[in-house]
Amino acid sequence: MNMIDIGAVAQAPSASSGSDIALELCALSKVYALKRGMFKAPGEIKAVNDVSLRLYRGETLGLVGESGCGKSTLAKMLLGLLEPTAGNVLINGQEVDPTSRKDNARHIQPIFQDPYSSLNPRKTVAEIVGLPLKLHRIGTSAEQQQSVRKILDLVGMPERTYGQYPNQLSGGQRQRVAIARALILQPDILICDEPTSALDVSVQAQILNLLLDLKAEFGLTYLFISHDLGVVEHLVDRVAVMHKGSIVELETREKIFSDAQHPYTRMLLASALTPEPGLGIPELAVSG
Amino acid sequence: MSVLLDVKNLRVDLPTENGMLHAVRGIDFQVRRGEMLCLVGESGCGKSMTSLALMGLLPRKAICTADRMAFDGVELLGLPDKKLNQLRGQRMSMIFQEPMTSLNPAYTLGNQLCEAMLEKPGVTRAEARERAIYLLHRTGIGNAEDRLRQYPHQLSGGLRQRVMIAMALMCGPDLIIADEPTTALDVTIQAQILRMIRELQREFGTAVVFITHDLGVVSRIADRVAVMYAGQVVETTDVAQLFAAPRHPYTRGLLNCIPVRGKTLPGSKLQAIPGVVPSLVGDVGGCVFRNRCSLADAACEQEPPMVNTAAGDKIHYARCHKVTAADAMQLSEVAA
Repeated sequence: MNMIDIGAVAQAPSASSGSDIALELCALSKVYALKRGMFKAPGEIKAVNDVSLRLYRGETLGLVGESGCGKSTLAKMLLGLLEPTAGNVLINGQEVDPTSRKDNARHIQPIFQDPYSSLNPRKTVAEIVGLPLKLHRIGTSAEQQQSVRKILDLVGMPERTYGQYPNQLSGGQRQRVAIARALILQPDILICDEPTSALDVSVQAQILNLLLDLKAEFGLTYLFISHDLGVVEHLVDRVAVMHKGSIVELETREKIFSDAQHPYTRMLLASALTPEPGLGIPELAVSG
Repeated sequence: MSVLLDVKNLRVDLPTENGMLHAVRGIDFQVRRGEMLCLVGESGCGKSMTSLALMGLLPRKAICTADRMAFDGVELLGLPDKKLNQLRGQRMSMIFQEPMTSLNPAYTLGNQLCEAMLEKPGVTRAEARERAIYLLHRTGIGNAEDRLRQYPHQLSGGLRQRVMIAMALMCGPDLIIADEPTTALDVTIQAQILRMIRELQREFGTAVVFITHDLGVVSRIADRVAVMYAGQVVETTDVAQLFAAPRHPYTRGLLNCIPVRGKTLPGSKLQAIPGVVPSLVGDVGGCVFRNRCSLADAACEQEPPMVNTAAGDKIHYARCHKVTAADAMQLSEVAA
């Protein structure tokens, strides 16, 4: 009996407090039909091909891969924005029904890449963040306002911005608003789809710090989608490498970055240009 | 190495509804023959405006002034269009950020590649075609002859950027201005393209002004670096020196806020630069970084001097009142 316990603990990632599963994808696939002309048989694109993944509670799973590999399609299926062709998604053991997005939204929330297009330009910051509470009819109007203030304060938005519109904010501030909106329903899981790739590096650090703080405070589970391996290494517990719709390697951070097995992972790692002042030799990447 | 491009006190102002936007506020730099100069900075620091000013491609309402903006001894500002067109595409060319939008969808690649070269007197179509095939081949594009008949939409982003690079090299220019040429590409493609740019640049002895926001790219490709912030060059030196001993607090902040393997503990707090870039509309005075700088005091209200902080005949300029204080901070960091 004891030995089985040890085995179970070893399989769970070190950072998770328990071994329970927050999000599970079972053989998830998405196939797009491709019209090839009047007289040709339609083709198929397997955007996501038989992906199975488990996110343990409290862990950060990094999903890396190049554009077109299916990362964003996968994220949309997790959020119930896209119906999978095959397979299913379980949130806290419950199967996700794509027709009841409102229920899913309580548990799983997105932060998108582009803070310029993911906020409604005609609503104020407070309205944007408060909308989920209104939709879900949580609390009285006064209570809603109070929680909006609390969450905006938490993500570091100054009070004068509450009545402003998104076009009056900087890129970093917009992303903070998007994070506040994602958190206001107190979800367990955040799907972060390239949350900092549209931001400048000096602002990126602020947002990454915020994500780390929020995770510690609320015990959140992150699926962190990114192509920036430096950021991924800093933030995640485990890494899933996606290539042409399939997961080609899934390992702990230490293993992936020190001892990657799959040739595609190795190629990704080799092509990441880290600014290494100690070396400072530009020939490194040129020959590498 | 002789100086190919000499820019002194370049200013670009853009009239906006809210007042004059000072996009570039008096920058100086030189590019020597065959050298790779990286202009690095965050969005809105004026790096793209600088490149457009060099090529004479600024928006019409923009006001561009400079004490000197000379390409191989020829003053570019105020040069008649006809003369400028003899330089552009022939002796200086440009690679833009978006390979998706910078090729004309209505013409074949062959047409677009050969266009600039056919402007040269005495060049035949066959010669231009031959050079196009050679360069496509050198930029790593297979079956180049068939490609010449293709249209841009038939190519992937990486291939299009290779075509743009081949196009920039068609007339054997002395200077290429590359404005974020790999930002829109995937990391593996980016590495290949950067490697190719560097190889071809060395082989043909072309000088390159490489504009980017990515310090990783800079560290691997540059000979010299000019760090830009809010329309000014705040620090300039050779690449090894910049990464080994950055002097300006902004450069230091930038380097500190990127997670680096072996240096930053995963999951630890990153040293972010607080605050945001100041607005460049209206009057801008004093050190522009003072609102985000931990060393700033009353002295920083004054325009900071550009001081050479390197000993001997080396060059390491930083635009900061606090260069000595910043050094002391670095020393204490090392000791701690």
